[in-house]
This record gives sequence, C-alpha cells and structure tokens, in this order.
Amino acid sequence: MKLKNLFVITAAALAAAPALADINIGVVASLTGPAAALGAETRKAVSLFPTSVGGEKVNFILLDDATDPTAAVKNVRKLISEDKVDAILGPNLISTAVAMADVANGEKVPMISVAPLDVSGDKRGFVFRSEPSADLMVQRVVADMVAAGVKTVGFIGFSDSWGEVLHKALTKAAEGKITIVATERYGRADPSVQAQILKLISAKPDAVFVGASGTPAAMPQITLRERGFKGRIYQSHGVTSKEFLRVGGKNVEGALIPVGPVLVAEQLPDSHPTKKNAVAFVQTLEAKYGPDSRSTFAGATWDAWLLLQNAIAGAQKGKAKAGTPEYRAALRDGLEKTSKLVGTNGVYSMAAGDHAGYDASAIVMIKVENNHWKLVK
Amino acid sequence: MDAEIIAMLGQDGVTNGAIYALLALALVLVFAVTRVIFIPQGEFLAWGALTMAALEGGQFPATVWLLVGCGVLTLAVDAFSATGRRNIGRSVLWNLAYPLALAGLLWGLPIAELPTAARVLIALAIVVPMGPMLYRVAFQPVAEAPVLVLLIISVAVHLAMVGLGLLIFGPEGSRTQPFSEAQFELGSLMIGGHTLVVLGASVVLIVALYLFFDRTLYGKALRATAINRNGARLMGISPALAGRLTFFLAAVIGVLSGLLVAPITTVYYDSGFLIGLKGFVAAIIGGLASYPLAAGGAILVGLLESFSSFWASAFKDVIVFTLIIPVLMWRSLTSHHVEEEE
Amino acid sequence: MNANTQTRAAPGAPSRLSPKLVLGVFLVLLVAAPLVLPEFYVTLLNYVGLSALVALGLVLLTGVGGLTSFGQAAFVGLGGYTTAWLTTAQDLPGWLAFIGSSPWFTLVAGLVLTATVAVILGSVTLKLSGHFLPLGTMAWGISLYFLFGNMEFLGGHGGLSGIPAVSVFGYELLDNGQFYYLVWAFVLAALFTTRNLLDSREGRAIRALKGGMVMAESMGVDTSRARMVIFVIAALHACAAGWLYAHLQRFVNPTPFGLHIGIEYLFMAVVGGAGQVWGALVGAGVITVLKQWLQDILPKVFGSAGNFEVIIFGVMMVIVLQRARDGLWPLIAGLVPVREAPKAIDSAAAPLARKPQPPMGETILEARDVTRKFGGLVANNNMSLHVKAGEILALIGPNGAGKSTMFNQLSGVDTPTSGDVLFRGKSVAGHSSREIAGLGMSRTFQHVRLLPKMTVLENVAIGAHRRGSKGVLPAAWRLDREEEARLLREAAIQVERVGLKDFMFAEAGSLALGQQRILEIARALCSDPCLLLLDEPAAGLRLKEKQALAELLRRLKSEGMAVLIVEHDMDFVMSLVDRVVVMEFGEKIAEGLPAEIQKNPAVLEAYLGGV
Repeated sequence: MKLKNLFVITAAALAAAPALADINIGVVASLTGPAAALGAETRKAVSLFPTSVGGEKVNFILLDDATDPTAAVKNVRKLISEDKVDAILGPNLISTAVAMADVANGEKVPMISVAPLDVSGDKRGFVFRSEPSADLMVQRVVADMVAAGVKTVGFIGFSDSWGEVLHKALTKAAEGKITIVATERYGRADPSVQAQILKLISAKPDAVFVGASGTPAAMPQITLRERGFKGRIYQSHGVTSKEFLRVGGKNVEGALIPVGPVLVAEQLPDSHPTKKNAVAFVQTLEAKYGPDSRSTFAGATWDAWLLLQNAIAGAQKGKAKAGTPEYRAALRDGLEKTSKLVGTNGVYSMAAGDHAGYDASAIVMIKVENNHWKLVK
Repeated sequence: MDAEIIAMLGQDGVTNGAIYALLALALVLVFAVTRVIFIPQGEFLAWGALTMAALEGGQFPATVWLLVGCGVLTLAVDAFSATGRRNIGRSVLWNLAYPLALAGLLWGLPIAELPTAARVLIALAIVVPMGPMLYRVAFQPVAEAPVLVLLIISVAVHLAMVGLGLLIFGPEGSRTQPFSEAQFELGSLMIGGHTLVVLGASVVLIVALYLFFDRTLYGKALRATAINRNGARLMGISPALAGRLTFFLAAVIGVLSGLLVAPITTVYYDSGFLIGLKGFVAAIIGGLASYPLAAGGAILVGLLESFSSFWASAFKDVIVFTLIIPVLMWRSLTSHHVEEEE
Repeated sequence: MNANTQTRAAPGAPSRLSPKLVLGVFLVLLVAAPLVLPEFYVTLLNYVGLSALVALGLVLLTGVGGLTSFGQAAFVGLGGYTTAWLTTAQDLPGWLAFIGSSPWFTLVAGLVLTATVAVILGSVTLKLSGHFLPLGTMAWGISLYFLFGNMEFLGGHGGLSGIPAVSVFGYELLDNGQFYYLVWAFVLAALFTTRNLLDSREGRAIRALKGGMVMAESMGVDTSRARMVIFVIAALHACAAGWLYAHLQRFVNPTPFGLHIGIEYLFMAVVGGAGQVWGALVGAGVITVLKQWLQDILPKVFGSAGNFEVIIFGVMMVIVLQRARDGLWPLIAGLVPVREAPKAIDSAAAPLARKPQPPMGETILEARDVTRKFGGLVANNNMSLHVKAGEILALIGPNGAGKSTMFNQLSGVDTPTSGDVLFRGKSVAGHSSREIAGLGMSRTFQHVRLLPKMTVLENVAIGAHRRGSKGVLPAAWRLDREEEARLLREAAIQVERVGLKDFMFAEAGSLALGQQRILEIARALCSDPCLLLLDEPAAGLRLKEKQALAELLRRLKSEGMAVLIVEHDMDFVMSLVDRVVVMEFGEKIAEGLPAEIQKNPAVLEAYLGGV
C-alpha cells in the first residue's frame, strides 16, 4: 500500500513527459560529483542545441548521473522507458559510459558517448562516440616528444579511471620510442604531490606527462616547477578549460596539450577543415557564457549533436516516425553511414566496424602562453 | 632515496601534519565538550579557503549570503523556542543585524584592492559565525541525545554543507596566494616561506588555545564542561553557551586551516572531507581525548602520507586510512571492560 | 531511555486489520508490480530492493543493536567484486575457475569472504565504545574503495564489465522484470529471517545491547558475541545486495561502493525507522524515489543543477533525528492499523531443566577480606560476609558507605584490589559477571535496567538466556520454536510468581517504578539462581507492594534460595531478614540478627549521630 503511494507521487512528478510525436533526445551528464566540472561543459553545449530539426520539434531531457554508474543506468532506463527517447547523448566518464552502453545497446537506442568509451565489438552496435580516443591524443603527444628529442618520460596521473586510461595509452604509444621511467598516482583532492614529484624528478625524465583533468591537473605541474624541473611538461586533453589556467597561473606556462581544434579555433590556419565550424561554435558559446568559456568538452558534446542531427535529417527522408523502434534503427543506420562530417572538434566518418571514426589529423598541439591557449605551429 | 629526499618528504609531511593537527585539536575539543563527532570540520576549511579565493579574485564572496541565510534560520529557531525568545534581542543582533551589516560593508569595500590581512579578517568574519549558528540549529535541540545520534546528524550536516558548497562555489577549485613566497636554504634543503608560515601559525594557534583554556574564564568553563557536563551545569555554566563557544572555536580553527592550506593545494568544495578525515585518524590516535597525542598523531599521519606517496602513490589513501586499524586494535587491547552506552 | 516510551493505540480497536491480511495484500502487490507497472518503476523497485537489503542489515545493527556503520557500501562492494571477478576473469586457477562457473557459487564465495572480513574488522572495533566503530567503518570504507580502484585484476577505476546473467533452474534472468523477482525474493527472505531472529532467544540478547549491556552480561548474555553476530549479519546482507547489484548492472566499478553511498544506506535505515525491519523497506523506498523525484523537480525550481538532493537529504536527516527519531515507519504503521497478536504461551511446553539446588544451610557466597581501592580512595576495606542457602542477608549502611561498590565486587561487575569472593566454594573474583551468572548468581539493579519497549514477558525471558542453546540460524528459520516455547513458559511462570500476571504483555516501560523493580526480580529468577542479589528492591514500592515483595522473598527463602539485599528501608529490612551486615566508610561495623543490630551503639551512632 505504501509502495503504491510512492508510485502516485513519482507518477505525478513524471507526468510532464513530452508528447510522443516530437523527437526526444536524452542527455546524461555528470552535473554533480567528482566529474561535475565536465558535466558543466556538457550542459553549456546542450543549452545551445536547436529546438527543431527540419521542422520537427526536438526535446532534450538532461539528467544528472552524479558521476555514479548506478545513477547513470537508472537515468538511461528512465529516458528509454519513460521519456521514450530516440537517442541518448553523453555521459562524461568512461565508467558511466560503459554502464550506460550495455543498457542502450540492449534496448536498441542509439547512444553517442562524449567519453572516450571503447565502441568496438558486437555489444556496441548502437553505441557511437564523438570524443577522440585517449590513444589518438596520446599518440599525438608522443609524436611531439619524439620530434623534440625526448628519450625518457615520467608519468603522474589521477588514481582513477581517467589516469588509468591515459597511462595505458602512454604505455602503448611510447612503446619502442620513449622509455617511461616513473609512474606516479595522486588523488584529485590531495593536499600535496610533493612526494610523487620528488620521485619523478629523481628518475630524471626528459619530459613529464600529467595524466589528469581539470584544475587538479595544475598541481603536479606547479610542484614540478617549484622543485626546479626544467624539462617539457605535457598535459592531457582533460585540462582544457579556462579554470585550469586560472588555478595554474604562471606555473602552468609552457604546458603542452593535445586538443581537438575547437579550443584554438581562431588561431587555426584557414586550411584546417574544422575552422569555420569551430569559430562559429566558439562565438555562440562565448556570447552566452563570456570570454574564454570554451572547452573541448563542450565541443565534443556539440559534435555529438551534429552527428545525431545529421542522422535525424537522414531519417526524416524515411517513413519511420519518431518514438518508434524503426525510427531508432534508422538513426543508428544513419549514424553508421556518417561520412566526412565536419564538426567543431574534428571530422567524423563512421562505418560498421568503426563507430568512433575520428580523423586524427584534426588534433593539434597547443601551449599555454601568457595564460592563454596558443596553437603550436 | 637519499637524505635530501627524506628531508623534503619530512618537510612536506610535517607541513600537512601541522594542518591535520589543528583539525584534530578542534575535533577533540568539540567531542570533549559536546560529544559531537564533528564531521563538518572539513567544510569550514573548504569554505574558508574558497571565500578567501573569491576575495582574492575581487569577487563578492557568495558565502555572505549563506551567512545571512544561516542567521535567519538561527533566528527562526530561537524565535520558536522558549529559551531562545528570552534573549531574542541578542539573537536579532547576531543572527540578522550582523550578517546584513557585513554584507553591506563588503558591498561598499573595494574587494580587489584589500590587503591580505584584511582579506583574512573578512574570511574569518564571514565563515566563523556559521559555527555557532550551526550548533544552535542542528545540535542544541538534541544536545542530550546519544553520541550515535549526534554522529549521524553530524554526517547529515556535512552532506548538506557539501551540497551548498557546490552550489555557491561551483565544481572548480581554487588556490590562493601564499602568505610568503620566500625560500630559505638550510644546508642543501630548500624551505618554502609558506611552510614556515604554516608551522608558525599552527604553533601560535596551539599556544593560544592553551592559554585560552588555562587562563580565561570561558576556557575554564569549557574545560569544566568537558570533564563533567552535569557538574558544570550545576556550577552555572550553560551547556548551550559551551556548545556555541566550542563550535565558534572549531570554526576559527577550520577557517584558519583553510587559509593555510589553500596556497599549498587546490581546494574544492568537497576537499574538506578527506582532509578532515585525516584529522580524524589523528584524533582517534589520541582516543578523541588527548590533545598532545592527537597532535602527535597528526604529524604521524602527515609523514605517513608523504612517505607512502613516495613509495606507492596509488595506495597512499589506503595506507593512511588503514593506519586506523592497528590504532583501534591497540586501543581495543588496552581496554577490556563492558561499556554501557549512554 | 525510560522516559522515551511510546504510547500505542489500544489493541482490539474495531477497525484493526489482521496481520495476515495486510501481509497478503503486500505480497500480492509485490508479485503483481512488474506485470502492471511501467518498466522504469520496475527498475526503481529493483534498486529499492537492493538498498532495502543493505538497510535491513543496518536496522539490525543500528536500530536494534545500537552500533553504526558508514561502511556498508564497502561490504556491498566485496559481494559485487567477488562475483564480478570470479565470473569474468579468464585464467583463474582450477578451483577458482570452478567457483566462477556459476554466479551461485560466487555468491557463497562472496558471503564467506565478507564474513571473514567482518569478523576481523569486528574483532578490532567492536570492543571499543560506540563511536569508534562508525569512525573505523568510515576509514576502512574509504580504503577499500581505493583498493578496488587500484587493483589491476579488478579492472581498476574503470571497473569490470561483461558479468554474466544469473540463471535460476537453467533460466537466464536477462530482463529487469525477471530480475525483480530474484531481488525481492532475497529481500523477503532477509526480512522474515531478521524478524524471526529478533523474536527469539538470540534476538532478545541482541535487543538488550542497546541500553542494557551490563544487565545483559549479568543475565549471562555474551554481549561481545551478540555485537559480532549482528555486525556479520549486516555485512552478509550487504554482500548479498552487492552480488545482486553486479548481476543486475552486469558491470561494477568502485563508485557505488564509496563512502557517500554507505552514508546513504544509513540514512535509509534511519529515515525509515531503524528500530523496525519494515523501516528498512520504507527508508530504501522513500530515499530512492525521493532522489529520483528531486532530480526531476529541483533543477526546474532552482533553474540550475546542483547537489540539491544532497542538501535536502541532509536537512531531512537532521529534522528526522530531531523530531521523529523512530523514523517514518511508526507514522506509516499508524495509517494501517494492524492487530497485534499477543505472544502465545504454551502451558504444555516441557519445563526447563533446573540446576540441583544446594542443601539448606550450605554457604553459598563468601567474601573474604575484600578491599577495593580507587586510586587513593579506599571504597571497601577488609569486608567479609557470607550468605547461606535458605537465608536472607541484608547489607545496610548510610549513603556513601560503599554498599554499591561491595555489590559490584560480589557480582563480578568489578574486581577487588585484594581479597577473594567465593561462590559455592569457587573463587569468582576477577571473573566476568556472565560467568558468575552461569554459576547460579542473579541480580537486580539499583537503577532499573529494563528494555522499555519490550513486553514484560520478553524482558523476563532474557533472564533465561543461558537455559536455552539455540543459535542464530535456527532462530532465523524458526527451528527454535520448541525451545522458545519452553523459555517463554518459564518466563510466564516467573511473571506470575512475582504477581505481574496482568501486565504480561504490557511494555515494560509503561510499568510503575515499583513494578519495574519486581519485574527485575522475575527476570533474575528466570535464570534458575541459587543466590539472588537485590539492590534496593523496595525503593519506590507502596506498602501493599512491599508486603507482597516480602512475602515473595520469604517464600523463596523457604525453597532454599540464598538472598542478599542492599536496602535503605529499615522497617522492610528488619522485619524480613535473618541477619544484617552494617557498613560505614567502606568497613563492616556490625553484623548480627536484626534485633541485635537495632540496639548496636556503633550502628546507632552511624545512622543518627554520625554528623
């Protein structure tokens, strides 16, 4: 009896479900919890999404996963069974993405991950990705290191899934080219990384790669500089928001970062394929959120939407109506047929065997100069 | 690992240990006087640090509004309780007039141009009063409840405060300017000026606390309450006053530790909890009763953290928090009687 | 605690429903739910069930036993990770691979592992006073979280995926709707076993932990063991929930086993009503649904996202603990008036075995030169006394004479600094009060120590703890009913014997103070003692009651019982007892027949002219 009451309460809360004829898109992001900073970027991009595509109304339902896979799965189930969404965008982290992908694939709802989730294999038929993989990014870093004559590298990264992903990517990319002489871990909220840095420095690497994200990524670099480390310091593409610059201040000067081109849109050579799109996106974003509010995360979310928008436009030519399994299948097929779609952060071409078709040549190296992002030529 | 690295790790460990020591002292104090295991201690640290960061950034600190909100809530609780109504005038003054006056003052001040000392004072003035307000609202109505209930309330308050922290400070962290950027050379060892500031400030605070408890009437009243609550009440020491005073002190210590820690590390809205918990490990080493043992334990925790970061950084937190198990085992072996719960 | 008595609506009011009917409706709703509800609610109900399982352990631990853990999520993690690792890892050694071949084997493996960990952690923290346990669980909740995240073979922070589905009789539970039945089968099994357990000999011992530890020990309850039992049971519940979680989610990573989730479980138990098994269900339901609901509503109200639900949960907890410490369950239970069936007493149950009583006149208890010093203070100095079977001895003296200290030396609560206490010829100084209780000494307390919310009958039955032997598992599965009937019959006999028959099923807290003292005597008698130690039994009694008490004690004496009473009431003592020992300043100043003592100048001096 009491359970029934609870249902009535919930049902009332959920009664405002959107009409069936519209296209409904679910977005799951980490608005709270440890990855809240990433979720905030996703939210910025979502706020810029259009309200209709080709005359059809599109509703976006943004849910918070609190950086917790359990909540993420609950959200997906709710989006699918209550909101009858036609596709899902997000989430921000690999751990939440893995959990969500199983459900989305099982329920045959197309999902475009903004986290660098592995989307190969038969259990990922409905899962795509707009974020370039960490491997591609780190390969770019290693290429830069090799070009600069770096022989040894030290790694310091988060003791979480992101740090792990980057460490694996670095190990793979560096194989046979550069020796990893030290591997250290630290926590997002640690008061100090002195000890780890001491150990890193004592291994005397030519360069250090910081496998972290957001503002906590500044701390190792600050400590490295304080301890007199003179070598090159590389950061991952997880740091690219202005908060990193604010917190890092003068100590993060010179940091080298592989990024999707959106972050330095204006500085791109005119020949860069994404320049036009990237500049337009950055201008819209910064008109709303103020100067320097850009980030690659917002860019990746935006590109996820562009991929989907392209598929929706394709599906509109067919007969299937939004809200039906046929429509979702059509979206999936449309996504898989994406060919040379120019986003803000890169160029995408999907195929049956490649649901993450990101063209690596779009990745650029940038450097922090005078507390701004500067494209490395 | 050579002597230089040992010295540097030691320096790092002692610096962090000093901050844990301050927190541990506050935790022991609060527990002794009110029997509250004060989990939100860390939140005062984070709020203090982030308020300071906002001031440095020239922004109007949003914590002021929180102070106003807390004040209004406290006033409401006072107004609805018989004892509170008796002193309603004073309550209006402290819980309504003061926060509003502070907000007004800050509105008029050129925040971006204030000297560091003024910023420190403002950060204290904003965050510290929330300590006693918190006691009044959350703990005073259940002051006689079992320790367990107080602990659960404490955790609940902590959660609410972290949520509020995210709301007002956002998910990103901040660092503040060090109080001193000087570097001293001692043999081959470089000592940062801020390290000395942290150590110095901790020692000064500990001495000040000692003098407060040893020399002043209020300090003696608190000590009396800690030793025997009912006895103190019979002697005319109001437990409510003792509670508020304790929370005031805890908030002062929390905010000051926040100001000390913010130049060393990036502080986030939820940073306080883990730092506070390390203070707890230290306090538990002191059996939640002994101040010197707790302070010693804090230095031990700092050193352990520093050295384990060096040897096995991925397992650092595992090592620090597992330290509590041998400590508890030792305590468990040395106490062997059936305890009656309160 | 005594004053915290709850008044319940009078039983037998006209509109009361039969408990079987209410339970039946509940079960029908539960079975029908996935058939009629939209899919998302079934998903939610699955999570409610998982949380309820963990919260149920906490009800036992916190609400009933007065212990608290913030680290239950870590036990959930142990269960989840055990099965996830064993069922997904590729090259395991033979026997581990065998366990990993079926989720049902990994469930057992997880339970065994969890029990081991819980026993180790419990032995470290459970002996310490209450607040160290929660702090300890907080610390190890964090360290286990990081341990999960840093173990390469557990998939690190990224987690393990590809966990197989559970099969029941060869049928794979792939769908949420199917898994629902598995989850709720677990929850119901846990609910009923927990309820059964609480309504048993072991259950009374567990309930005695909260607010009656010294009493429970003197009644022969091993309180450390009882604490360990509930700690392990709570951990096992959590482990089972973790196993279910892993096979529902088919993916695990460290996040859902972190400290903040552990705190949430505790909130569920407290909000629902930590003293009641159904409270776990209510708490899990309310928090899970509320969280979902707040997530939908709050951003619309506040216009931006934030951790609003956390703020609201925090504030809600504070309010619940300030205003309604029993949680929501009593409020909900009030809406559905269920008839309470009084416990049946089977008068045909076989009587409990009795110890052979010592012959009349044998010296039962003897104190030899007992001295107890607290630092420089000598509370008892060279005290000697003895009590024989079939005799009532009174220990009297002015306030502060050291009677209570002496009482503690005799009953094993405290250990003499020097001297010896012989009980039936055996030295018992330094032995625990539990051991001494087993030898046939039983006592009452100066400040009444009852469990106010338990019935008179159940309170008395605690006294018979050592006369039963059935443990936790038989109790959980109701294999203890024959022994339980015998215990209850014995308790009922003792309740009648002391004249509280009319209050048999009343809550002990609702009795007048004098009656509560009598109840304590019944409880003491229930342990089949040959010596009764009574600490001020006549205090607070009216004249009639005193006469009845005196009558009872005389009867016991005539049956061969030895009785030692510490008492203030001179009229009561002098008309009742055989001999009197008088204490002052920790020493014996006189001993003799009541008539002699009344004339003894030293005694008169002590009582009248001492100042």
